[in-house]
Amino acid sequence: MSKKTEEIDEDKMRETRTKCKNDSAKSKKQKQVVKEVKPVEKEVKSLKEEDLLVDSGADSDDDGDSLCGSLNSDDFDSDMFDSEDDGSQRETEDGDGESSEDKVHGHEGLDDNDEENEQVDSENGEEDGIDEDSEQGEVVEESDSSEDEVAPRNTVGDVPLEWYKDEKHIGYDITGKKITKKEKQDKLDSFLATMDDSKNWRKIYDEYNDEEVELTKEESKLIRRMLRGEAPHADFDPYAPYVDWFKWDDAIHPLSSAPEPKRRFIPSKWEAKKVVKYVRAIRKGWIKFDKPEEEPSVYHLWGDDSTLDQKSKHLTYIPPPKLKLPGHEESYNPSLEYIPTEEEKASYELMFEEDRPKFIPKRFTSLRSIPAYENALKESFERCLDLYLCPRVRKKRINIDPESLKPKLPSRKDLRPYPNSCYLEYKGHTGPVTSISTESSGQWIASGSTDGSVRIWEVETGRCLKTWQFDEAVKCVAWNPLSDFPILAVAMGRDLVILNTELGTDEEQNTIKELLNLGNLPEQSTSVAAIVSWLPDEIYGGIKIRHFKNISYIHWHRKGDYLSTVMASGETRGVVTHQISKKLTDKLPFKIRGLPVCTVFHPSRSFIFIATRKNVRVYDLLKADGPIKKLETGMREISSMAIHPGGDNLIVGSKEGKMCWFDMDLSSKPYKTLKNHPKDITNVAFHRSYPLFASCSVDSTAYVFHGKVYNDLNENPLIVPLEILRGHSTKSNGGGVLDCKFHPRQPWLFTAGADSIIKLYCH
Amino acid sequence: MAPKHYRPAGKKKEGNAARYMTRSQALKHLQVNLNLFRRLCIVKGIFPREPKKKVKGNHHTYYHVKDIAFLHHEPLLEKFREIKTYQKKVLKAKAKKNEELARLLLTRQPTYKLDRLILERYPTFIDALRDLDDCLTMVHLFAVLPASDREKLEVKRVHNCRKLSHEWQAYILRTHALRKVFVSVKGIYYQAEVEGQKITWLTPHAIQQVFTNDVDFSVLLTFLEFYETLLAFINFKLYRSLNVKYPPILDSRLEALAADLYALSRYIDASARGMVVEPKVDASSSSQSNDREESELRLAQLQHQLPSSEPGALMHLVADNNKEVEEDEETRVCKSLFKDLKFFLSREVPRESLLFVLPAFGGMVSWEGEGAPFKEDDDSITHHIIDKPSAGHLYLSREYVQPQWIYDCVNARIILPTEKYMVGRVPPPHLSPFVDNEAEGYVPDYAEQIKRLQAAARNKVLPLPGVGKEDLEDPQNLLYAGVMSRAEEAEAAENKKKMAAKEKQYHEELKLELKKGKGIVVDGEAEAEGEEEESAPNADNNQIAEDNAAMAKVTMPRKKRKLYDAMKMGQEKRNEGINRIKERKNKLKNAAQE
Repeated sequence: MSKKTEEIDEDKMRETRTKCKNDSAKSKKQKQVVKEVKPVEKEVKSLKEEDLLVDSGADSDDDGDSLCGSLNSDDFDSDMFDSEDDGSQRETEDGDGESSEDKVHGHEGLDDNDEENEQVDSENGEEDGIDEDSEQGEVVEESDSSEDEVAPRNTVGDVPLEWYKDEKHIGYDITGKKITKKEKQDKLDSFLATMDDSKNWRKIYDEYNDEEVELTKEESKLIRRMLRGEAPHADFDPYAPYVDWFKWDDAIHPLSSAPEPKRRFIPSKWEAKKVVKYVRAIRKGWIKFDKPEEEPSVYHLWGDDSTLDQKSKHLTYIPPPKLKLPGHEESYNPSLEYIPTEEEKASYELMFEEDRPKFIPKRFTSLRSIPAYENALKESFERCLDLYLCPRVRKKRINIDPESLKPKLPSRKDLRPYPNSCYLEYKGHTGPVTSISTESSGQWIASGSTDGSVRIWEVETGRCLKTWQFDEAVKCVAWNPLSDFPILAVAMGRDLVILNTELGTDEEQNTIKELLNLGNLPEQSTSVAAIVSWLPDEIYGGIKIRHFKNISYIHWHRKGDYLSTVMASGETRGVVTHQISKKLTDKLPFKIRGLPVCTVFHPSRSFIFIATRKNVRVYDLLKADGPIKKLETGMREISSMAIHPGGDNLIVGSKEGKMCWFDMDLSSKPYKTLKNHPKDITNVAFHRSYPLFASCSVDSTAYVFHGKVYNDLNENPLIVPLEILRGHSTKSNGGGVLDCKFHPRQPWLFTAGADSIIKLYCH
Repeated sequence: MAPKHYRPAGKKKEGNAARYMTRSQALKHLQVNLNLFRRLCIVKGIFPREPKKKVKGNHHTYYHVKDIAFLHHEPLLEKFREIKTYQKKVLKAKAKKNEELARLLLTRQPTYKLDRLILERYPTFIDALRDLDDCLTMVHLFAVLPASDREKLEVKRVHNCRKLSHEWQAYILRTHALRKVFVSVKGIYYQAEVEGQKITWLTPHAIQQVFTNDVDFSVLLTFLEFYETLLAFINFKLYRSLNVKYPPILDSRLEALAADLYALSRYIDASARGMVVEPKVDASSSSQSNDREESELRLAQLQHQLPSSEPGALMHLVADNNKEVEEDEETRVCKSLFKDLKFFLSREVPRESLLFVLPAFGGMVSWEGEGAPFKEDDDSITHHIIDKPSAGHLYLSREYVQPQWIYDCVNARIILPTEKYMVGRVPPPHLSPFVDNEAEGYVPDYAEQIKRLQAAARNKVLPLPGVGKEDLEDPQNLLYAGVMSRAEEAEAAENKKKMAAKEKQYHEELKLELKKGKGIVVDGEAEAEGEEEESAPNADNNQIAEDNAAMAKVTMPRKKRKLYDAMKMGQEKRNEGINRIKERKNKLKNAAQE
């Protein structure tokens, strides 16, 4: 209920109070008298009330409503409508002007509201009426419809009684004098009173009016019934048949003789406003009565001239790749061989999740037994994700036979002769053969082994001609390149021994003996003396040159007078050259960067090639300044090097199994890199006259290549792999093939294996 | 020191930095949230690109600037924003308990259409057909999904999907464009050829599908929205090409019986027949013809309603289609595969699939239930499809086969012998028609048998001398060739083959004799030489081959060598799978022998 109505209620209350001021009657009859005094409108209510009293029940609420509606239906209906409108008005949030209207309307509607209230109250009315006598104070407090009540006799008003709890008085009378409270009985008195008076239990103290009330028998009965939850009146029948007391048929006059209020004749302003609003909404098309004509949702989208291709302004559209079509294994009834066995399925469990097969074939013997596929939605979803989240790129897939990638090589038959099969084996060494060397005439080969022996073999027969035994493992052997000067250089540990093989004619022997005689040793310069010392070899009658470090490689100059040795040392001390004729040792006139691995003399000019770990540098021996060329191999670790007899081409083998061919006229980068061996290359070699070269590796194979160098500078060298030579045992503790050398005249290849065998391959 | 990517002030960005932007940059640029961006991307068909150089790092998604600009100018973006604000309005009204206003607002919601986008994405009809695979698969999947409140999947949409998929199937059925069918564990794959495009789609098995939690339905529904529109337009175009009105008006009785496809095909049949008569009138007065058309339609409708005792409206399709001239060879083969055969489906058979497949290959089909064109006791039924372990009442006039027989026949394009597919037996393996067995490197046994049968059938149909002789040499295939009605022919062919074989043998003998007579010395020598040459290196042929391979590889440049290695590895992997299958097969064989 709004505040205004409350106010008005109070007004009325006051009215009734003044009216009934002197009236001190308690009973219901008196109340009804009071009502009769009220205007006609109220009479209706009293009527209603009576009615209610007659047939009010648990559902008296509904009854009241319907009654009301039937009594003054037109009025009430309009009210209902109004109030509805009111509500909707508030919802639609109108302007300020309307809110003032609202107030007016509120007043208008007040009476009606009041009526309603009264109706509601009247339901309680009977209850009130009953209780009035006993608990009037409370009733006064509770009920807000005043006119039904007996006027309160105290003048305190609706004031909480605790305000006067500690006072002697309870409020004031009209003249402003205190109304004093009755003396309160103490406990003892009250107890005595109960003892004395058997009807004392019926007495109730009314605090408000400060008096004792005695309940009548009927009243106590009523209370009892109410406590039991029954209707208060014993003669009340809650299920009595409904009797319509009003005769509807022949009523000509209205129930009320009150003149019709004006508002019933003037059109509602609210309604007018509402209508305006609706009209506006309809005009603007916000409200449509007929459903809008539905355009056909589908139509001929691609016109018949859809063949004309408009150039799209946008980026090229990359159509999504289609899903892979299912194979036999996805069938509901695949062949049995497609179904993995139990063990295989178990092994899938052990796999990483990425490696695990996405789909495991299953077999169902009939169509009806196929269950729903549990991943259907998920797969569809993943496809969707792929479609809008995956970057699309056009990729050219090469769909060619991989064999077509291989280069077309000239027929090997045309490149004959080349060594292709093992012809002879030279056995005699007890340890891996580390190094071999062919004599320039091609009649002999020398070999050195880790067992410390150096042997000379006759090539064609395989006979071991001579053997020298040393204490240390032989690292390197090298024949003097001059055919009339058959001496052998052998490197082992820190020593370089120059041996007389005693092979040549007597005349040659003489010259050799003379040469190897260390009679008058020339003075070495001090820096050289720190590195090298020339000593006579007591055992085999040669020269022993002791170095300050282990020798890793030796190489003869083509003239047979000079010999270079390589030690693992930097700067100028890594490579030294020995001149046999003068028994002199020279350091190189330039510094070397890094540790040298091997050196090679240029076959025709005064150049020396020095390979360090990664690069090969070419120095001019006659000049003291830096390298004239630096060849970048791009390899991790160089192991060996060989020069073409023409002098312009160089091959370099590395420990990663790669071999580079340098054409020094072309570039300082390799002309070709061949990845032929899976393991370290131990040595590479050129043939002196045939266009052949070879490499050998610890994987116990040797490759023979055709490597033709043309005189025409415009033509690049032709490199053709010819043969893979196998035969050395692969088991021999990771040794493989340690050295390979070509025969100087024939297209034959010697290989020295870690299985202590030397092999000769012939064409 | 200048930063790594220093650019002088005022100089514009260029290269990959200017051409691509990351997703979050794109969001900022478009001023949309991720959800809206995703929807736009899906609807517009925009996907990330792979820049050559990823300027922002590897873990970003990159979009081309042009793509984003394309989105920026999209009117739909504005529309989406409008919808968003409108939603706010409705929410506000609801929050203020202004139900009436909310209701009013909801009736006037802004809507959008995707037709323009479809035309934009697929400028020609062929383009649209090319990308139809995903669309069909998705629509078919959603046609069997249960509607769900939680996932915001409305009943309306499911019904629409169902309708669209049936319309599509009706078209395929009508034009006999279906080529391959494959029943997999995932569902049934169909492949059809429409306007030269091979379209493959997957329909799930007709069993209640389950929702999984690891799926974001909003993505799926956005895709579905686009696909539904696309398929509707495609169906329209296809129906138009058949001179049938779209959307079709269906016989409600059949629809209620869940025989939509049948109803559709009857509709198409009826309206196509109507159209054939009509076209002249069409040209003269359009309004009249329209009326007439409609009345014709209604007539057709009424015809539908007539009791369907006339054996299968689908019959007419077959009859009508004979008139059409523009048909390729394959269509003709497909159309006449089940010609003159009458099928009856029993209850437990997957009806939807077979009702689609059988008529598409020219067969007449009926089923158990109401609205079926003919009843089970029809005498002219030749095949009864059953998927039970045993049949109840047996009619002697027909064959009882399992449904797989039909699929296998369709894929093989011949009528296979039915013994293996009898009721109660475990049918032979169902093979995928999408696999090229030769290219794969492994041919399953049953594929070989089918191949032989095909060759035999071809021979019978076109008895050309010399064709397929190799196939016929094998007397074993005669066992399979004994198809009931053609038994006699088979016999004749057998005789012929025997004759041919004998003749051949005779020829060979003659040749041998001649050889001996003429140049026994010369030939012998030559042969001996050849043998010698061959035998010598035979010793370790493998080694030589290996060496040769290795040597060829040695001279390859690194790039090519790597490529070669990769290719070899791929081949090996493929071979590995095949070898595993072969191994399993051997094991099985051994086990069977023991």
